[in-house]
Amino acid sequence: MGFLLLVIPLISVLLFFLVKKRLFLHVISLTASGLMMMIALPLAGDVIAKGTVEYAHYGGFFYLDSLSIIVLDIVLLIGFFAAIYSVQYLEVDVRRGKLDFGKVRLYYILMQLFLFTMILALTVKNMGIMWIAIEATTLASVFLVGFHNDRYALEAAWKYVIICSVGIAVAMLGIIFLHLSSIGVLESRELLQWTALMENAGRLNDSTARLAFIFILVGFGTKAGLAPMHTWLPDAHSQAPAPISALLSGVLLNSAMYGIIRMAAVVNKSLGSSIYTGRLLMAMGMLSIVIAAVFILTQKDYKRLLAYSSIEHMGIIAVAIGFFTPLSLFGGLLHMINHSLTKSMLFLCSGSLLQKFETKQIPRIKGVLKMLPFSGTAFLFGLFAIAGMPPFSVFASELGILMSVFNEGSYIIGAVLAILFVIVFAGIATAMFRIFYGSNENKDLEPGEENIPGTLIIMTLLVIIGITGLWMPDPIIELIHQAQSIISGV
Amino acid sequence: MSGLFDTLSVIILLTSFVLVANKRIKSYIKTFRIQSAFIALAAGIMGIQSITSEGRIDVLVVCFVIVVLKVIYIPKLLNRTYSGVEYKVEKDFILNIPILVLICCGLVVFTHFCIASIDGISQGYNDLQIINSVSVVMIGLFFMISRKKAIGQIIGFLVLENGIFITAMFATDGMPFIVDMGIFIDMLTAVMIMGIMVYQISDKFDTINIDKLNKLKG
Amino acid sequence: MSYIIYIIIQILTIVLTAPLVNGIIKKAKALSQKRTGPPVFQMYYDLYKLIRKGTVVSDVSSWIYKAAPYVVFSTALAAALLVPVSTLVTPANSIPGDFILMVSVFALGRFFMMAAGLDTGSTFGGMGSSREAMISSLAEPSILVCLFTAGLISGSTSLDRMMTFMQGTGTPLTHPATVLLFLALLSIIMMETARIPVDDPATHLELTMVHEAMLLEYSGRHLALMEYGAAIKQLVFMTLLVNLLVPHDQIIGFAGAGAVVLSLLIYLLKVILLAVLIALVEINTVKFRLFSIPNLAALSFILSFLAFLQYFLMGGGHVWFV
Repeated sequence: MGFLLLVIPLISVLLFFLVKKRLFLHVISLTASGLMMMIALPLAGDVIAKGTVEYAHYGGFFYLDSLSIIVLDIVLLIGFFAAIYSVQYLEVDVRRGKLDFGKVRLYYILMQLFLFTMILALTVKNMGIMWIAIEATTLASVFLVGFHNDRYALEAAWKYVIICSVGIAVAMLGIIFLHLSSIGVLESRELLQWTALMENAGRLNDSTARLAFIFILVGFGTKAGLAPMHTWLPDAHSQAPAPISALLSGVLLNSAMYGIIRMAAVVNKSLGSSIYTGRLLMAMGMLSIVIAAVFILTQKDYKRLLAYSSIEHMGIIAVAIGFFTPLSLFGGLLHMINHSLTKSMLFLCSGSLLQKFETKQIPRIKGVLKMLPFSGTAFLFGLFAIAGMPPFSVFASELGILMSVFNEGSYIIGAVLAILFVIVFAGIATAMFRIFYGSNENKDLEPGEENIPGTLIIMTLLVIIGITGLWMPDPIIELIHQAQSIISGV
Repeated sequence: MSGLFDTLSVIILLTSFVLVANKRIKSYIKTFRIQSAFIALAAGIMGIQSITSEGRIDVLVVCFVIVVLKVIYIPKLLNRTYSGVEYKVEKDFILNIPILVLICCGLVVFTHFCIASIDGISQGYNDLQIINSVSVVMIGLFFMISRKKAIGQIIGFLVLENGIFITAMFATDGMPFIVDMGIFIDMLTAVMIMGIMVYQISDKFDTINIDKLNKLKG
Repeated sequence: MSYIIYIIIQILTIVLTAPLVNGIIKKAKALSQKRTGPPVFQMYYDLYKLIRKGTVVSDVSSWIYKAAPYVVFSTALAAALLVPVSTLVTPANSIPGDFILMVSVFALGRFFMMAAGLDTGSTFGGMGSSREAMISSLAEPSILVCLFTAGLISGSTSLDRMMTFMQGTGTPLTHPATVLLFLALLSIIMMETARIPVDDPATHLELTMVHEAMLLEYSGRHLALMEYGAAIKQLVFMTLLVNLLVPHDQIIGFAGAGAVVLSLLIYLLKVILLAVLIALVEINTVKFRLFSIPNLAALSFILSFLAFLQYFLMGGGHVWFV
């Protein structure tokens, strides 16, 4: 059944080529995403029951454990939501004459390919194939980033493809060194397989493994948006169409971080302590948070602001993983889930804002609450959520991570983190809150939602992040515990 | 036989220096072609070695793929993309070429110090090959940041990938086959995408100078 | 072998072969352009013609103008003595002089040539001298690093010891350091002997001449001596390259006069092949702009430096020529 996840996107790409009407494009996309999401839940159940899901075909190629299923389910869920949102989003643009059938088809084909590559990255245990899939995610999404085809979008897409390709190439060097460190230790049919690496981690060559980790951290960190390799992220995430931004921020960053986590697990087990990887991860994480905080304070473009917020949260996850205590790992994984849900909701709201007001500049927007009653309110609450306000979910995971830092006795780091959280909150507040009030002078704009299905999705997400801030269903907690023990290598 | 690989790795390093010392776009593409030809030669020799000793055919297939892709197809693709652009020679540089070449020399020395400080990275004898290969990666990266035209970044990226490929080949005697194939497909697609983007940039911006792409700031 | 025999054989070989090289290169270039070209021995006839002609000396010039041709010729010959054409004829104790001496002797000759170019006060001469100064200052580090590396590899700075060492190692050209040395020496030959892409030996346009500009004022036997000196310098560099990096004396199994003759013949063959190679390089490149010559010089320096680095990376000579 897991293979269906890989097959469905490919079949839908083929089908896209065969249809001639826009309606069918939307139908195929929704069916594909819906089917994939429906597969997600039973698979999760399997993983909770059995620990891992592995198929022996093709030499044990398909592999899912608790860590992969968490990230995978987020991919499928947000993919589904984004697909629903895209329908009306694209239709509005078609009605305004900005897109035609060919472009809509291109959008859907690339989106399905993008989802396929991410699913591939998460369902293999061979690190080499994982690398190939992550490189493929860059390639699949370049033209999605440059979709609007104006100067800004082209510039963003060029930066994206160059910086991420170089980063991924550096990660390849890391994988080569990983391979080197395991020569003589692993048999030839288990080379580069994560499970085999974890089993034999004690016998890997120490210094080569360290070198491998640095390269992979820099390489995959470029894709994950860690500073100082983050420079492509604000451009790419702000110029892409809103559902794609949701996918990029909510899902792709997680997949890159997943690669880093797998590598960190191996290297920590091999070296016997997490100090080496921890220092690197924490340094880059803190740097990301600081840079994000500084840039958020002066932003004038709301989508760029959301992109910098993604950088900040990825930095928080990196710090949590770097700390490597059970509580911080739990907090980090929980944060991955919460951040994805919240950030996707925010980007989808921003899409509605863009389509209504036709500008990305904050100073030019006023009266959002009147113009877009539902998505506007959701946007307001979402901004509170992402800044770490209770009772939303991001607060819970940030609190968990802070607690784990203070538990270890690193008071300074904890204090710095807390201060940075406050700065970010202040930045978001001062930048954004003025757009909600007042009334819009432009008489041509009528209040009301244009994207009804999209708004429903946004409200659903809002409810989810509200509820999960207070209560998380037990299976999910169980999954996160299992994932955390897998990472710690016990 | 290992001496032959040493010499080949040095010649490949040399071609990357020649690349940095060049100014004409056609020369970039030609130098890349020559470098890929030498890499294919090394892969071919390794492939023949592995067939006679272990019966594995995958390295030879990889060599064949390199010849088809990097020696024949990608240079042709790049030449076609650039036939429409008027700028054939790069005129402004941040630093002049002899200094760039000397900086690349410094990169080789730097790589040597980095790799020599890692014990047990290899059996000791192919230290030279690894240092040369990683230097090619560094020089490719340096080339990307030292050129202002978009083609410079594409060629730099290709040289970077070349360097990574020969690091894999010399250090580990061939990566698993499927990983190699995946690398090639990725690289081919990346170059095609970059080629299309250069065309679009030249269309929208009327220039292929990358430093004109500076509107998104902050 | 005693010194006297060595000196005689060395000077005879070099003096007789030097003009031949120029002829071969010109013939090869002409054939590639589908012309017949001048006969291979043309330079001999030219030199003979020039020696019999009278000289015209400018009266604003000083003694340097008259002394320069003799200095250039004699320094070239002196340097030629330091680079044996065949190790079978070298004296039992090695030659008293190493490559540092060779480079310095050539530098002396070059200094006089540059001074003579300035001496007549003509603009062409001054221009040639300043360009030659720039090019040679860029080429010198390259030569020195290159020869130092070869010296480090063979453990001596005396050229015949270096050549003997290289003979003992089989085929040096499969080693990374020596391949780079070969290429470095080739580019040095291009720069030192005023060949395309550095300088065009067939032109008299002020835009492009460097070496020719300094010779412009000379006539008669002075010109013959300058040209001969340049040809000998070129042959000395070529000998350095072929004998150091493509040694042939180890394949001669026997000794005696017959071996010497065979060795000299093989040497001649190598020189001819190298001349054809130089001609090929000249045919396939164009002359660089003057300000692009530093790029070539930097590349040549890098070649030498990389050769040194490769030698160093191989552990300083322990693991060698497996």
